[in-house]
Amino acid sequence: MSWWATYPGTRKLAVIVSAVLLLAFTAFPFFWMVTTAFKAPSEIFVYPPYFFPKHFTFENIARLFDQTRFLTYFRNSVFVSSMTVLVTLTIATPGAYSLTRFRFLGREKIAAVILFTYMFAPIMIIIPFYVLIRFFGIANTHLALILSYTAFCLPFSLWMLRTFFQSIPLDLEEAALTDGADRLRAILHVLLPMALPGIIATGIFTFILAWNDYIFVRILITSDELKTLSVGIADLYNSSVIDWGMIMSGGMLIIVPVVVVFAYIQRFLVSGWGAGGVKG
Amino acid sequence: MRLSQGATGLLLIAPAVALLSCLTLYPVFHGIWLSFYAKHSFFPGQQFIGLANYAFLLHDPDFWSSLWRGVIYSVSTITLQIGVGVAAALVLNEVFPARNLVRGIVLFPYMIPTVVAVILWKWLLNNQFGLVNYGLVELGLAEENISWMGHSYIMVSLILISVWQFFPFVVLAVLARLQTIPQELYEAAKVDGAGAVRRFLHVTLPQLASVLFVVILLRSIWMFTKFDTVWLITQGGGAEKYIRTLPVYAYLRTFHFYEAGTGAAIAVVMFAILAASTTVYFYLFRTDERL
Repeated sequence: MSWWATYPGTRKLAVIVSAVLLLAFTAFPFFWMVTTAFKAPSEIFVYPPYFFPKHFTFENIARLFDQTRFLTYFRNSVFVSSMTVLVTLTIATPGAYSLTRFRFLGREKIAAVILFTYMFAPIMIIIPFYVLIRFFGIANTHLALILSYTAFCLPFSLWMLRTFFQSIPLDLEEAALTDGADRLRAILHVLLPMALPGIIATGIFTFILAWNDYIFVRILITSDELKTLSVGIADLYNSSVIDWGMIMSGGMLIIVPVVVVFAYIQRFLVSGWGAGGVKG
Repeated sequence: MRLSQGATGLLLIAPAVALLSCLTLYPVFHGIWLSFYAKHSFFPGQQFIGLANYAFLLHDPDFWSSLWRGVIYSVSTITLQIGVGVAAALVLNEVFPARNLVRGIVLFPYMIPTVVAVILWKWLLNNQFGLVNYGLVELGLAEENISWMGHSYIMVSLILISVWQFFPFVVLAVLARLQTIPQELYEAAKVDGAGAVRRFLHVTLPQLASVLFVVILLRSIWMFTKFDTVWLITQGGGAEKYIRTLPVYAYLRTFHFYEAGTGAAIAVVMFAILAASTTVYFYLFRTDERL
């Protein structure tokens, strides 16, 4: 017999205590960031520290907007990430459909190579990539970022969408085809509506990956007005006096969009579907 | 004109294949080519120097210490991620109030930009005003404030931050698998008188073997090539030298010393190490049911 079976309720208590500890480990740093973001500088640097701001203030956020180009970085991040989602889905959806529904020579080889490139980390290719981007004269443009994110997101997008298309029975499309619909209409009216949740989730993963990236922006972008949030926030550090209140409010604001989209994909994640859609 | 099945299929996948070939596969080969040249990172033109970049690395103490630090970093973070991740997944698989919300929050550190993970922890670990030092001193676990970003503790801080940021990936994969283990297996084990520990060792763990095989593979590749978390902690300043791993060294060689050829050679060496270790890993642990 296991030890807790002899004491009813002990197992339940152990589970709850562990869950609380786990929650403290993951959530507390976020809590501390948010509470610091709303403290006045005089309250941030006190000993002993306290948990909640005594005087709730928006000073730090105001400084972030006044003294840095936070809004520009934010706009750039939104633009680059959204364009990446658009381009990736436009290329990956027909590609994944082809890998699921068509038979052609080399199909499995293509699928294997795509899975192989999924394991690549940016640092392994970034140096020749950088030389290439300079050769084409598109260094320091948003186009370079969108292209690199698309290349980086394509493998998992193809893989996720393929799994999703495979889960949709072929019969439905065939039924539409025998009813006289042509292939395109069968896809648009039968397959796509069913695949939509999967396409949206894939788009969200792509968005998060582009939104979070640091290394491509660091290397490909040199103009301050083209930088995105990750690099913009990291550069706040380079000043001689570190303004923790301002940095924490910046960190808090970057993750707001991530929280919003994460709420949508969480149900997919926990059920295991799309577990491969996150890398890093 | 109507296209044949095969032609339509190829046409639909063509853009993806073209883009991946140009922007991912071609750079790999270009990188190998580049590693045989002396090339300035900004200016055009290069000079063939054969294996000189590799010969340089062979005698470069910085290269060897970066490799060694990278191995320490990868092995320790992967071990901790697997340990914490599997334990967390077991807890999250139990029934308790607000379970879905807790699951979401636990997965969340993996979804945030690395820069946020780093600034959060740099603030918590701040020497003077950090909450961690305050807690340790108050509880009597430390006599005075620990310099977490100083040379003796910076590797510990890096490992802590990395585990916090990446263990949710393990949770994600393991939790998904736990949900599919048939309950009858546990019932049968109970009937046989197996306690909780033995049920974990003899029922849960074998069922998790295949998912752990893949998770360890992916995490090893990604931790060994991790750049942003390591770099962002110091951004090249302070005790940077004490957490310099191979990806950071490749970056420094290319973008601070402007030696793109040497940088490319380091990347090729990383590739070779990963290819060799992956082969050994597959040879040792792969069974047909796993992949």
